[in-house]
Amino acid sequence: MEFPGRDPSQRVLALDDVSLDIRRGEFVCLLGPSGCGKSTLLNIIGGMLTQTSGSATVNGTPVTSPRPDDIAYVFQESTLFPWFTVLENFRLALKFRGVEDANWRDRAMQSLSAVGMEQFASHYPKQLSVGMKQRINLARGLCVGSEVLLLDEPFAALDEQTRMVLGEDLSILLARRGKTIVFVTHSLAEAVFLADRIVVMTARPGKVKASIEVPEPHPRSPDFMLTDAFQDIRKELYGLLRDEIRQTVAAMRVARDAQA
Amino acid sequence: MSPNKIRLVRFLVILGVVLLWEFYARVFATSSLSAAPSQVLAELWPKVLGEPRVRAAIGVTLIELIVAFVMSVVFGMLIGVLIGMTDIGRRSFYPVVLLLYGIPQAILLPLFVLIFGLGPASKIAFGFSHGIFPVIVNTIAGMRNVNPLLLRGAAAMGATRFEQLRYVMFPHMVTAVFTGLRLAMTLTLLGVLLAELFVSQGGIGFFTLLYAETFNPASLIALILTLALLAIVLNELVRMVEARFSRWKE
Ligand SMILES: Nc1ncnc2c1ncn2[C@@H]1O[C@H](COP(=O)(O)OP(=O)(O)OP(=O)(O)O)[C@@H](O)[C@H]1O
Ligand SMILES: [Mg+2]
Repeated sequence: MEFPGRDPSQRVLALDDVSLDIRRGEFVCLLGPSGCGKSTLLNIIGGMLTQTSGSATVNGTPVTSPRPDDIAYVFQESTLFPWFTVLENFRLALKFRGVEDANWRDRAMQSLSAVGMEQFASHYPKQLSVGMKQRINLARGLCVGSEVLLLDEPFAALDEQTRMVLGEDLSILLARRGKTIVFVTHSLAEAVFLADRIVVMTARPGKVKASIEVPEPHPRSPDFMLTDAFQDIRKELYGLLRDEIRQTVAAMRVARDAQA
Repeated sequence: MSPNKIRLVRFLVILGVVLLWEFYARVFATSSLSAAPSQVLAELWPKVLGEPRVRAAIGVTLIELIVAFVMSVVFGMLIGVLIGMTDIGRRSFYPVVLLLYGIPQAILLPLFVLIFGLGPASKIAFGFSHGIFPVIVNTIAGMRNVNPLLLRGAAAMGATRFEQLRYVMFPHMVTAVFTGLRLAMTLTLLGVLLAELFVSQGGIGFFTLLYAETFNPASLIALILTLALLAIVLNELVRMVEARFSRWKE
């Protein structure tokens, strides 16, 4: 994947020779230094970006544009429409997808209570905290019933404690539904705790550096974080990432010096 | 300060001004050039508002105003969306709009009368020429700075272009558009009244001229007060509609 930029000097090769197969029902975490192309990869899978070379396939068909029937998205920041109530936001999501039916309300309320937010159905987003909004974004992603869920640092704006709780909730929620998930995060612990497999990417241009399995069934209890298995994987990830992050920082210095 | 106290102060100030005016008019002013509030009130009914021809004139002006305003809103928003939607529109047409907006339309008034005649059409056209620009400009302004993440989110959820416009762009624009509408209401009224005063066969302009030329200040002020009241009511109406659309901001 290459971004053209305004002139040739601004061209950015974001992803290079990435090959990744994700099984149905698998929870994959993308981990890599900032700017390595994680969001770009997610956008290609979700059909929000068209790759400059290569192909992306979901359910056997190439992705060329957003496919809300198969793929739902949760972004780093809330994408709830501030001018509609929580419930109206759910209704719209279903309407956009073309599945707004007589029992949309029940469906929305079910998803809301799955994240413990049912009593806020008629609130406006402005009346909710950042963490509450992200819960609801998550619930909306689940509500539309697509098979694939793409999450781009959904908890990045939250504090550590809220993150942990939401992570546990997510693990429980997903264990029941068998969705296919691609989850971008910067948190090693989050990745190990949630993922079936962690894909570590290199500094830009992003490639797949390693792919690490986490053989622990869902739903996972917080105790899992205290086990040696957890710590070992975490250490391994840290070792893999450290070099890439160094490289990213070094590249940034070079770019800065070149500008000065 | 408590709301009640604020209201009391406001009331006292207004009362003071009215009393001063009453005092001035009764003691110093020439009665053929100015009138005291009490005289104006006495004149308002039945002489001014009781007169069927005056009532008809107010009706005509009101209709001119409403037609001009509705046309300003409809065409203004349409043109605003068309210009604001594309980069080309913003770059090539927006400057033209701003240029036209900058011309004092008063100098074009004779032209309007020439083209649209002495009747209501020229008043509507002139009011429209005042009202449409703030609607266009504020519509375009409203289309800027929409959170791109919301548009992306909508697109990811499968929203069509039209749905993105309807559920993301339009709600985002409400605040700016209503600023435009309130301005348009004031300016349309200004345009209509200017045209009325310039030449009028049976509208309010006719009677203002009549009262002024026959040295009847009490009737004149009574008529002006009625118009002012009308303007306030119309502005409040726009504001009420706006509040209805802005509940999510509280
Ligand atoms: N629309 C775009 N136009 C040009 N370049 C882009 C665009 N989007 C991303 N890039 C470039 O592609 C590279 C990868 O960006 P991307 O957002 O995918 O990184 P990321 O891994 O998600 O980073 P982070 O962890 O900071 O979110 C970056 O160097 C960025 O400058
Ligand atoms: Mg990113």
